[in-house]
Amino acid sequence: MTVTLVSVLFVAAGLVGLGAFIVAWKRELTASLTGLPVMFAGAGTAFVGVARFGAATGAPLLGQEMAVLLGVAALSAVGLGIGLAGREGSR
Amino acid sequence: MDSLHAIGFYVSAALAGLGGVLLAFLAGHLRRGTALAITGLGLAGIYTSLSAGFAAIVVLVCYAGCALLVARPDYRTVEQATRTLWRQVGAVGAAVLLAALAYAAFRGGFAHATFYGGAFGAVSVGRLLFTHDTLATEAVGGLVLVTLVGAAAAWRRERPREEREGRR
Repeated sequence: MTVTLVSVLFVAAGLVGLGAFIVAWKRELTASLTGLPVMFAGAGTAFVGVARFGAATGAPLLGQEMAVLLGVAALSAVGLGIGLAGREGSR
Repeated sequence: MDSLHAIGFYVSAALAGLGGVLLAFLAGHLRRGTALAITGLGLAGIYTSLSAGFAAIVVLVCYAGCALLVARPDYRTVEQATRTLWRQVGAVGAAVLLAALAYAAFRGGFAHATFYGGAFGAVSVGRLLFTHDTLATEAVGGLVLVTLVGAAAAWRRERPREEREGRR
């Protein structure tokens, strides 16, 4: 059993497709917002996979750096979406 | 990559996929938050098995934050006005996207390179973030700041009186 760049990219494609499905399918906006971190997870997996298996020259850890930034961006997107949805109930 | 890392990779990928599927089909804030936490756990496992330990820790913290936000019971439910037909078209589009990406991954000719980094890589990634790509890091930091301030302001904003009374 081994892992190659192709298998990493398959997993990344699956996560991106799953995230796109969640965004398109969920009727509730805050629920469809949760598809964004899944799509970002797929993109980050592809970046880390390329950094691990395919980065021959230059900075080989650029993919890991992008994965870190994508994780932070996912948290920001969810925070902004939940904040914009607003609080339930009277204040 | 040895067998242990390979098993870890595939188990983590299955965990992330399971979390995504649960996220797509479960209802309720708490369940969706739990599913997002499972996705984050799987993603951190994927990164760890691909020798990106520092990214795994950051992603684990960020996705735990996402899960806690999604699991909150007190945010409003906003329904889309989109018809079912367009949602189905969007779902088919997601399937087409998946097929296109999988085809590109299967047919692509990728160069293979030997990886010389360590298992964790915090020093190297930190050096990249704060020296080579400082501007991008600062831009993302600014984005996070603006986002959190905007979210907090929107969260605390008082709704119009007629809207509040109309909901009772």
